[in-house]
Amino acid sequence: MEFKLEAHRIVSISLGKIYNSRGQRGGIKLHKNLLVSLVLRSARQVYLSDPCPGLYLAGSPVPPPQPGEPAAGPPAGWGEPPPPAARAAWPEPETPPERPAGPDARRAVDAEPAAPGAGDTLQGGEEPAGGAAAEEEEMETGNVANLISIFGSSFSGLLRKSPAGGREEAEAEESGPEAAEPGQICCDQPVLRDINPWSTAIVAF
Amino acid sequence: MVSLSLWEADIISTVEFNHTGELLATGDKGGRVVIFQREPESKNAPHSQGEYDVYSTFQSHEPEFDYLKSLEIEEKINKIKWLPQQNAAHSLLSTNDKTIKLWKITERDKRPEGYNLKDEEGKLKDLSTVTSLQVPVLKPMDLMVEVSPRRVFANGHTYHINSISVNSDCETYMSADDLRINLWHLAITDRSFNIVDIKPANMEDLTEVITASEFHPHHCNLFVYSSSKGSLRLCDMRAAALCDKHSKLFEEPEDPSNRSFFSEIISSVSDVKFSHSGRYMLTRDYLTVKVWDLNMEARPIETYQVHDYLRSKLCSLYENDCIFDKFECAWNGSDSVIMTGAYNNFFRMFDRNTKRDVTLEASRESSKPRAVLKPRRVCVGGKRRRDDISVDSLDFTKKILHTAWHPAENIIAIAATNNLYIFQDKVNSEMH
Repeated sequence: MEFKLEAHRIVSISLGKIYNSRGQRGGIKLHKNLLVSLVLRSARQVYLSDPCPGLYLAGSPVPPPQPGEPAAGPPAGWGEPPPPAARAAWPEPETPPERPAGPDARRAVDAEPAAPGAGDTLQGGEEPAGGAAAEEEEMETGNVANLISIFGSSFSGLLRKSPAGGREEAEAEESGPEAAEPGQICCDQPVLRDINPWSTAIVAF
Repeated sequence: MVSLSLWEADIISTVEFNHTGELLATGDKGGRVVIFQREPESKNAPHSQGEYDVYSTFQSHEPEFDYLKSLEIEEKINKIKWLPQQNAAHSLLSTNDKTIKLWKITERDKRPEGYNLKDEEGKLKDLSTVTSLQVPVLKPMDLMVEVSPRRVFANGHTYHINSISVNSDCETYMSADDLRINLWHLAITDRSFNIVDIKPANMEDLTEVITASEFHPHHCNLFVYSSSKGSLRLCDMRAAALCDKHSKLFEEPEDPSNRSFFSEIISSVSDVKFSHSGRYMLTRDYLTVKVWDLNMEARPIETYQVHDYLRSKLCSLYENDCIFDKFECAWNGSDSVIMTGAYNNFFRMFDRNTKRDVTLEASRESSKPRAVLKPRRVCVGGKRRRDDISVDSLDFTKKILHTAWHPAENIIAIAATNNLYIFQDKVNSEMH
């Protein structure tokens, strides 16, 4: 589980870097972008292969049963405010899991850590203080939202495909991650259908 | 176009001694080159014991705009390489991302006086006042250093140039970008030979780029280039025109216990340098420096940890982009000591014979003239001594990426952002 969280965080940071590199003086640095895309690929593989319950994107208090999931279901405390340690890396620690709709991508980020136990495993040295984290994460998830619109809806497993660019409704979220099989490309642009979404990071330049 | 702030333009981007060590050139982000000259040691002025003073400053590259690609080309000087001196003039190559220039540096310390047709200010004389002929004579004048661009090697590279290297034949040099290496003749600017091309047919298949390259110091047919995957390829230009097939491939298998999301980034080689002897190569990746023997491809013969305490912080360093910092490395004149930079304005030296290493700091406080540098220590928890720095209080904005070692003596040049430090070891030439 911890790997999945870290993987997602790394994915969003990486996407932010690729996005920002487009405006860099001197043109896109091929070396750096290659390295970022390799990290992106690793993180995506870990994210998709980590056999733990998918990250529910709207803070639904009763996640549907998962195949292979133990009978106990999600760990106790699901839906309650997670322990402070878990929230330290994410913005707005006091926000309860169910919140009014905010920026699209931010919902994805905020809802994920509502899994107790995740906080224990986040690397101690890397969690910024709460307030600072709010601003940092805001920028990063803002980038993710922008990238989502750039790459179309080619992100499977992270956000449910939607014509509005990713806005989710809580009640429609039950089958979110399962609907998108790992590796499946949900895309409404025919030309991108056959291209691995992560490698389009290179091709886009 | 965005222009650099005054402060940013001063950031030093490369440092290089010439072959005798008499001159030291620095390039900066603003496209300028500053050359320092070592004052000759004289008994009359014992205080200026061979110190370096500014010799010449000139604007090498200007920002350009590629209208076709709608891209700005940075004026930052990526590398400077001196040509071996062949006459009274000095020559150097300087390069930014796209264009290499050959500069000639000459001294003028005499000027002709006593012209017949013009006076000392250069104005034409009234001919009626001229009654006799005189031969102009050369009179001494204040030293003037003149720099002129002799060649401009443009349009050779699609990608960003990361290194240049002058061949031991003194006639050719090579320039490397992310995917290609070109061979130039110093006298010919309108064409170059492509000797390495690793661009895949489909850019989506791209897995590695060229990160640095250098000619062998003695064998004019051999050169090495390093890759982002951590490998070194030694190529022989006699073997084929296109040196895509390496003669030797130097690669160390990855340690599976160290695998992380960032394994690939930290194994990317940021610098490669042949030893003066030509027998060894020195490489720098994010956490280590390694010495390779040209006769052994399977693994390096020596590996030194520069700042292994950062291994657990790679995610943060990825976030703040520090993991992409490209540190250089250097040999001393006798190939017995290697040096490289780190963070917090620290730099590290490793003695290959005694296996001792030291961490020193380049800062104004520690660098009063004739002060002795105090070794520093980074503590990683556990027992902390009085002057230790803890890992968490390291300043990652203070990075020493560029260092150079005098070819013969124990004099080092350290670039700390926009400051240049020159340290000389007067007392002894041995490492403590």
